[in-house]
Amino acid sequence: MRLAQEFTPGCGQVPKINALSGTKAEEVEKPIDDTSLLLDYDPAGYFCELSGVASHPDAEEIYKRLSQLNMLGLRKRSRDAEQELLNLGITFTVYTDKDSIDRILPFDVIPRILTDKDWRHIEAGVKQRVAAINLFLEDVYHGEKILKDGVVPEDLIKTNPYYRKEMKGVDVPCGTYVHICGTDLVRDGDGTFQVLEDNARTPSGVSYVIENRHLMMRAFPDLADGISIADVDEYGAQLMRAMQAVAPKQVGVPNVVLLSPGRFNSAYFEHVFLAREMGAQLVEGQDLVVQDDHVFVRTTGGLEPVHVIYRRIDDDFIDPKIFNPESMLGVPGLFEAYRQGNVTLANAVGTGVADDKAVYAYIPRIIKYYLNQEPILENVPTNICREPEGLKQTLDNLDKLVTKPVGESGGYGVVIGPHATKKQLKELRAKLEADPSNFISQPMVSLSVCPTLAGKAVEPRHVDLRPFTLTGDTSWVLPGGLTRVALRRGSLIVNSSQGGGSKDTWVLG
Amino acid sequence: MASLVSRFASDVYWLGRYLERAENLARILDINETYARDDAAGPDWGRVLTLYGERSRFEEIHGFPTARGVLDFYLIDRGNPSSVKSCIHAARENARSIRHLISTEMWTQLNIFHIAVGRMKPSDASIEQLSRVSRQIIAGCQHFEGVAEGTFLRSEPWCFYQLGKYIERADQTTRILDMGYDRLAPAEDNPVAWVHWNVLLRSVSGYHAYRNRHPGASTPQDIASFLLYDEEFPRAVALCVNRITGSLRELERRHGSQRGEEAERERRKLEFLIETGPGKSLTPARLHRFLDETQAALANVSASVSGCYFAGR
Repeated sequence: MRLAQEFTPGCGQVPKINALSGTKAEEVEKPIDDTSLLLDYDPAGYFCELSGVASHPDAEEIYKRLSQLNMLGLRKRSRDAEQELLNLGITFTVYTDKDSIDRILPFDVIPRILTDKDWRHIEAGVKQRVAAINLFLEDVYHGEKILKDGVVPEDLIKTNPYYRKEMKGVDVPCGTYVHICGTDLVRDGDGTFQVLEDNARTPSGVSYVIENRHLMMRAFPDLADGISIADVDEYGAQLMRAMQAVAPKQVGVPNVVLLSPGRFNSAYFEHVFLAREMGAQLVEGQDLVVQDDHVFVRTTGGLEPVHVIYRRIDDDFIDPKIFNPESMLGVPGLFEAYRQGNVTLANAVGTGVADDKAVYAYIPRIIKYYLNQEPILENVPTNICREPEGLKQTLDNLDKLVTKPVGESGGYGVVIGPHATKKQLKELRAKLEADPSNFISQPMVSLSVCPTLAGKAVEPRHVDLRPFTLTGDTSWVLPGGLTRVALRRGSLIVNSSQGGGSKDTWVLG
Repeated sequence: MASLVSRFASDVYWLGRYLERAENLARILDINETYARDDAAGPDWGRVLTLYGERSRFEEIHGFPTARGVLDFYLIDRGNPSSVKSCIHAARENARSIRHLISTEMWTQLNIFHIAVGRMKPSDASIEQLSRVSRQIIAGCQHFEGVAEGTFLRSEPWCFYQLGKYIERADQTTRILDMGYDRLAPAEDNPVAWVHWNVLLRSVSGYHAYRNRHPGASTPQDIASFLLYDEEFPRAVALCVNRITGSLRELERRHGSQRGEEAERERRKLEFLIETGPGKSLTPARLHRFLDETQAALANVSASVSGCYFAGR
């Protein structure tokens, strides 16, 4: 790897900040380095997603080009890019009594690089995982072989809040339960990819993958010039193809709709985006009606049949007759139409039992059980606290481990041992002893970092990766996926609700 | 391709209406500024409130209608659902709901416009700023209209967008005309009234179009007839009614005449009203009554479109 001493100074047309008259006081106090972008960059011992892959000639070239940018130019392009997100309305909305505030998911302009070799490994790994999860769900809702064989504890499944007894014996087209899967990966200190979490219910974030690419190509056409980067524009067409593949058999040309909770939902932008990319109608519960166990959409021409519903509503809310009776978002009678095979729901009902944090720990065993293969992507080593050995390991090392409640998402309730106070650890210990089954623990993963624009400098920030796998009759993986970045220095939590942003992800050809 | 989801038909219809409403509201406030300046009896900002039938609602909250109060009420008050800020917000919310059916350029333009309108401050709602602010609002709406013309797929949503736009425009033109109904007296008797009719014409960008039609001397009645009956001037009521007819025909072609029956009945009533209107023999009272009747007929067309196409039966 050639490093910064070889960098060619920036174009030089930008005058030194100090020499500018009328410059803002804060900028005069601390001059912006207008020379090398990566001169002071130090990944501090973590695996770096940029310098760590620089043996690849294209990655090296990107590193060189980034080095030649200067801070003023980078900050300007970053501001322009964020302004464009706002202009394009690529926002999530926070509502108050009288007003609504549009916020953007912070976007970092320095891309995350994946080599073709790494990508092929990830792609094979997530496909394998999704295949095993689908077989597992089919078994759980039919013969329960894996439970009878004692590979996965029966009560873990049957008492799981995401287990839907209503799905017992319901056949789904192509045996596909998880049509859209987001697999969260992290990369440890030596660069090995590990699975942190499966998202098999209604994973979100794919719209950012595609919009980030558009944004990046407009903001930095020069950075990728002449370098082959895998295309991400195919996602909508592939999703539509998968949805058509799982339509009820008797249907000629299936009518596919996307069911959204509506424009007040924070992910509404993504629902709109996907409906557009798919060429599908975007509907809300109020637009659908069930008659004689068939689903119809209210249109200007009257009622029209619906065959496949890509729903972005949780199981609980899809049908007030069967699940949450308070739900205004769903469609009364939808589940019965689904059960009879007159309409396909994607993802299937009851998939949450496979992406639960407690079940996650068993996925390597599940892969071996159904596919008779070794997992291509390993889990982060996990202590299952319901197992005595796992609980002991956890209690003995509480201050070193990351302990997670199994039923939560979005990073809530996670206790990071080394960062926790004595009081927090004491409370956690009590909770663990009272209800060990509710917890898993994992060692601190030294999450990889990526150079990230942090105020007036480029600094390492921790990242993860969420590839998206689409499955109809076969599986297809969107090249790359969503790179989330923890924007606070030292933070390991990349969730957008807790100060995370995103980056464009480049799979090199 | 499947038919349009009823809710989206309604949303795109209201998108058209709200933008047209915001544009005309800006035009009306600007005319009133000129009128108020010349009023012998002192500036009257209550006139705009009367025009929209909102005088009592306004006075309950704000008391006597001052320039400041009325401009604030109609430009930036988010508590008033018919202010420009509320209209643009509503237009944008409708656009958001049908984001997948409109072009990216339409959405982006409206989104940027919405951000700009959202930033209007109380200091923008003043007599001194009015001319600039209303020009910006009109330009923003026209910009959207141009982008829509150039990028919006001519499928079913377009029909409803057009329908909303022309129903609202016809309604607003009758309200703009109503601004001048009491000034129909011959010009030689009232030079100020004559100036006002010219202002009114200019406010709908109709001055040169009118001059082209009526070179030489003309009367306020001629101007009123022009804004009512001209079939080539884009803001004239007659042209709007023709466009409404065209959009309803297109919807019938798509869905059959049975579905649009009620809308067709109301449309005929509207057409009949315009065809048999007061013609050139306009007196202030007759004009005022005719404008009211036209507004009612337009409201009936709107309600019937909603019944036929938005209910999802």
